Amino acid sequence: MAVYKRAYKPYTGSLTPTWSRFLILPRYAFRTVFRSKILTGYFVLCFVPFIVSLAIIYLYNNPIARTLIGMREDQNFPFSIGGRFFYYLLRIQAGMAFLLNIWVGPTLVSPDLVNNALPLYLSRPFSRTEYVIGKMSVLFMLLGGITLIPDLLLYGIQATLAGGGWFMSHLDLAGAIVASSLIWIALMSLLSLAMSAWVKWRIAASGLLFGFFVVTAGFGAIFNEVVRTYWGKVLNIDYVFSVIWQDLFNVSTVTGISRRWVGTFREQDVPVGIAWLVLAALCSAALFMLNKRLRAREVVRG
Amino acid sequence: MNAIRRAQLATVVRLELKKNFFRLCGLWVYLLAFAPAFIILMHGIFDRADSHDDDTQVLAVIFQMYYLRVGIFIGCLGIFTRLFRGDVMERSLHYYFLAPIRREVLVLGKWLAGATAASFVFGLGVMTSFLILYLHQRDGMAFLTSAQGVKHFWAYLGVTVLATLGYGSLFLLTGMLFRNPIIPAVVIGSWEAANHILPNLLKKFSVIFYLEPLCPVEMPAERGLIGLFMLPADPLPPWLAVTGLLAFCALVLAYTAYKIREVEISYGTD
Amino acid sequence: MSTQTAIMQPPITAFAGRPESELILFENVSKFYGDVLGVNRVSLQIAPGVTSLVGPNGAGKTTLMNLMTGLIWPTRGRIRVLGSSPSDPEKFFRMVGYCTQFDSFARGVTGYEFIYDTLRLHGMSAADARRRTIDTLERVNMTEASRRKVAGYSKGMRQRIRLGQALAHHPRVLVLDEPLNGLDPMARAECMALFQSLGREGLHVILSSHILHEVDRISDQVVFIQSGYVVAEGNVHGVRDEVTDQPVQILVRSPEPNRLASKLFTQDHVTEAKITDDRRGVLVRTRDSNRFYDLLNRMVVEEGLEVEAVTPADDDVNSVYQYLIGSEGASI
Repeated sequence: MAVYKRAYKPYTGSLTPTWSRFLILPRYAFRTVFRSKILTGYFVLCFVPFIVSLAIIYLYNNPIARTLIGMREDQNFPFSIGGRFFYYLLRIQAGMAFLLNIWVGPTLVSPDLVNNALPLYLSRPFSRTEYVIGKMSVLFMLLGGITLIPDLLLYGIQATLAGGGWFMSHLDLAGAIVASSLIWIALMSLLSLAMSAWVKWRIAASGLLFGFFVVTAGFGAIFNEVVRTYWGKVLNIDYVFSVIWQDLFNVSTVTGISRRWVGTFREQDVPVGIAWLVLAALCSAALFMLNKRLRAREVVRG
Repeated sequence: MNAIRRAQLATVVRLELKKNFFRLCGLWVYLLAFAPAFIILMHGIFDRADSHDDDTQVLAVIFQMYYLRVGIFIGCLGIFTRLFRGDVMERSLHYYFLAPIRREVLVLGKWLAGATAASFVFGLGVMTSFLILYLHQRDGMAFLTSAQGVKHFWAYLGVTVLATLGYGSLFLLTGMLFRNPIIPAVVIGSWEAANHILPNLLKKFSVIFYLEPLCPVEMPAERGLIGLFMLPADPLPPWLAVTGLLAFCALVLAYTAYKIREVEISYGTD
Repeated sequence: MSTQTAIMQPPITAFAGRPESELILFENVSKFYGDVLGVNRVSLQIAPGVTSLVGPNGAGKTTLMNLMTGLIWPTRGRIRVLGSSPSDPEKFFRMVGYCTQFDSFARGVTGYEFIYDTLRLHGMSAADARRRTIDTLERVNMTEASRRKVAGYSKGMRQRIRLGQALAHHPRVLVLDEPLNGLDPMARAECMALFQSLGREGLHVILSSHILHEVDRISDQVVFIQSGYVVAEGNVHGVRDEVTDQPVQILVRSPEPNRLASKLFTQDHVTEAKITDDRRGVLVRTRDSNRFYDLLNRMVVEEGLEVEAVTPADDDVNSVYQYLIGSEGASI
């Protein structure tokens, strides 16, 4: 049949900037994520530590408010608002955000692999890097919205209420908040995407992510107990983060929940440099897994 | 149970064991079960200087902190969740529902298959850790053949089996009810981990509460900040711990058998 | 046979004297998936023989089949299959076999194991199950490939093995969701012959298909479904008779088409008369087929009109589908 009437014409209108095209992914991802009422409810719940901290900061800086809750006006607050306060706050927020990561992370890449959607993405002028950045940005926005943004807000509020003196003496705290949050979010996002790319099924990816943190910590504890050492702690990701955060927030070693896992009779901590190396190794492994699995082709073994 | 139902039950158990447990993709469960044994073996080869009492404490910590709270927990999560949720993901659950088999028998068959596999793998892992730990000692053989050694052996094995039954029934239910069973598993894991700081009444609603009294060696007390929050539990006699846990399993399984009647086949998309 | 509307459903009585134990009954059945309608107020009686469910994608055919076989539960209404219900699976699934639309299998299973394991789930002994599996594999022509993994089968082979699995236990009711999908013409013809022979043996064979001319060939009854409602059900010819808002089309083959056509134009019941391209016939559309046949008979007897053949031109599933469900059909 001869084509006598050409109705098809290529698009000649304006194009969106190349750098911003990855934002299409989070736009659709958020629509899917917040369709679940339970997840939305849990996301809101993750702001409870922020609200409680806000109240504490307000009370800390307002002697009159302290009298309303039964404290004396000249009575000192049991703790100060500084590095330790923000360290503990971040620990709690990160714990809550971890569940969110397990919930949301695997829904980002696994469905695309299972439903063969990767070739659809990558057959457009859209690279694998943009794909990964787009998916990571979903987790960055979600996890950052629970950790980094509220903590910076609290820092700003504390600096405003406490006055210039506090701000000048705690200038490095802002950097610590940003660095600690970003490192945590980056590693969580990479691991989440890498595992969901590796096992394909969403539930298996969630399980692998959860199991990875718990099981490696367990192996580390066994190693410490059996070999009478402390080097097994490097397998405990939660502990590794606590070492780095303590260094960034400039707080001394504290007893935490993770202590139960690291061997009750081993007091020595892993050097900060080794902790950074562990994180770097994990990031590299995650990037390697993503590079291997995110391909625009599918191999069918018959 | 009549002969046909028994035959159907046996078929379900056989099919599930073949489908889920004797495959390469099940290797991670063996890793969870035998990793401590491997570490203990390496230590035994390179350093034989530890005392019997120290090693007994070490084994107690490994068993209660790793096997009960991590290894068996995660292993049962993977094994039992896969029993229903795996069929849904593979879109093959409807073959069971279209067979002339009562759904309650199906639940029981799947649970038995999971319990068999998990008890076997983790039982073997715990026993291997136990034997390797003591065998590398100079007087290890004497302890193993003594009354106390035999008592410890059977106690660890019994607690392992009970743990797989308890966690298995929970994860069979969550695997059937939830599209992503990992989320309730994280909640259950947090609840189990927080058991020592819960009030007495709430302690009873956890598997670990019934298992700890049955362990032959008590764990060293928690020190530091967490130790301040710990609430000691009312002492639980062993017979009550076993009966309580079995009753808990039966209750959860009965509820699972009740809920499965309402399940509809609607695979959707992932 | 009836053309139903969605307003009021007549009470269900035993179908032409048949007891409930020989029928598949839907009594005012509705199924909602949340806010989305699956099927609404469906009342059907399905007798033994081949019954086809016909409708566009999303009409509710699979929903009806899933309801019939207990894979989903109705929101309202009652379903009985030969006097039994899916809530008694031990009795129900001995009589019912369902070949679903899901083209999926347990991981790593071979064709032989797929059928054998199903039969063992029925409670059969190993020897009986083995024997039946071999018979079934022969029946669906899969003996040679039976020891290979299903994952390596072609689409047509997977379809045949699933069909075999549904047939293996010799059910009295066979429900087939698009059973001809993926089959080559030879395999399709074999399957259709099989379904017809099963229907003649007294089985209830319920199938859905988009290949309307094949449905036409083998079906004793047809159920037309659209948007969750049963639009019509019964024998195709009977349904066509009841679609009175569409003129009947009749093709008359004659060497004198002009003479016939000129006579027809004077008839008020004739809406259209078109001479065929080969100028050897007339396609007539009439609102009253009886008056048309009277006229034709008079022309042949009294006026000597030569007629070679007279055939209804729209008395098939395809035409009825177009009238009821297609762009010209009434929508509910």
